[in-house]
Amino acid sequence: MRRIIQIILTVAVCWFAADVARAADVSAPAHAVAGSDISLPTSGSGSATLYLFGPGTAMKKDVQLGSEIPLSLEYSGRYAAIVNGQQVTFDVAPAPVSEVAFLARPSRVPAATKDVITGTVFLFDKDRNLVTIPTPVKFDLSVDGGQPQSQTIQSKNGVAWIKLDSGRKAGPAQFVAAAGDASVRRVVQETASDPCNLRMHVQQTKDGVAVETDRVRDCAGNPVPDGTIVTFTATSPKGRDTVDARIKKGVAKAELPALQNATLSVASGVVVGNEIHVGGGM
Amino acid sequence: MKWFGPLLVAAFLLACSCWIVTAQAASELPAVNLNVGDAGPRQIEDTTERALQRDYAHAWGSMEAALNDNRADILNSDFVGVALDELKDRVNQQQKSGLRTRFIDHGHQLQAIFYSPEGSAVQLRDTAQFEVQYLDGDKIVNSEQRTENYTVVMTAGENRWKVRVLQAIQAQPE
Repeated sequence: MRRIIQIILTVAVCWFAADVARAADVSAPAHAVAGSDISLPTSGSGSATLYLFGPGTAMKKDVQLGSEIPLSLEYSGRYAAIVNGQQVTFDVAPAPVSEVAFLARPSRVPAATKDVITGTVFLFDKDRNLVTIPTPVKFDLSVDGGQPQSQTIQSKNGVAWIKLDSGRKAGPAQFVAAAGDASVRRVVQETASDPCNLRMHVQQTKDGVAVETDRVRDCAGNPVPDGTIVTFTATSPKGRDTVDARIKKGVAKAELPALQNATLSVASGVVVGNEIHVGGGM
Repeated sequence: MKWFGPLLVAAFLLACSCWIVTAQAASELPAVNLNVGDAGPRQIEDTTERALQRDYAHAWGSMEAALNDNRADILNSDFVGVALDELKDRVNQQQKSGLRTRFIDHGHQLQAIFYSPEGSAVQLRDTAQFEVQYLDGDKIVNSEQRTENYTVVMTAGENRWKVRVLQAIQAQPE
């Protein structure tokens, strides 16, 4: 009886040892980075078939056990290597940042407006894997002759974003996002805001009244773009006359008929300018 | 003209069977449970939430079918950019080696973690549960039950959200 138990135990031990030996066929690489050479260590002897499944990868290859299998994996993520039915999983980390995807909105904004420009950045390595480790991203916004803005934001899960005020000066603003060795530039056109201190003056002419604004500017002193509509209104006991004129070379002009006891006013958008009384009366 | 009636019936039956097959495929989409409560800086609107949930489920359905049948063409409507390139590379390599990957999907806990201020990109975290089978021809080489964490970026397309990044990440220690 003792002999039988001894044989059974010996068989069991051999079985276990063989199983352990088989289990040691392939192991995970210590630290794998996308785009770098990786070695998959194997143990044992003889040949076997390696199956490798992972992002962008499906491979079947005859390998010699006991040697290291060289691999170059482009995509980061989780891989499964199978040899002799034994599987190991391992992670491949993204390489350092070398590409920045930058969404800047909007492309045109009024000057001197709060929280109006947004920038969102996604960080990628050279093989376009999302780099999820926290990385500082520097955002710069500047217009020629204006006060530049600069902020550094730490990325979270591969993303960094910012909200900025537009500058006081109108013009093409350079909006730059930089991380690691990569930087991307976008242009945000900062335009003058609504007119500020809208003023007009009046001149009697042979046929009526000529009205003309002073140079139309926003509150930061930027000239309001040509083409912006300015409305002149004449209110008299006979009724109301309205003339729309576009700003041309910084000023808006209009010709009104001869008026008696009328009040002239000027407006552009929601901004109302000065009033002038013409034609006697009052 | 005697054959016209039976032909019409046959065409009708064929159309019905096609509809049944399509309906079955649609009902086989994986279960996706989306939580948008922690998304920022922009709040996700109800319609966007429903669209993301639907399109993400559809993307997984396409990916599973593509990797099982080695068909890269069905990925185009749900994936874009690096995610599309990566999946096409895998399907091509599977085709060359006579390999396949089969998923038995047990569902996705999807959490929106970032919605870009201008509303064109969403980042999500997916905890996916599935059984994955690796096949050499029709022989299963190995299979395993997996709970996998993915970081996902979806961007707004013409009429749907498409997956731009689908990257497995190591579970962070608590």
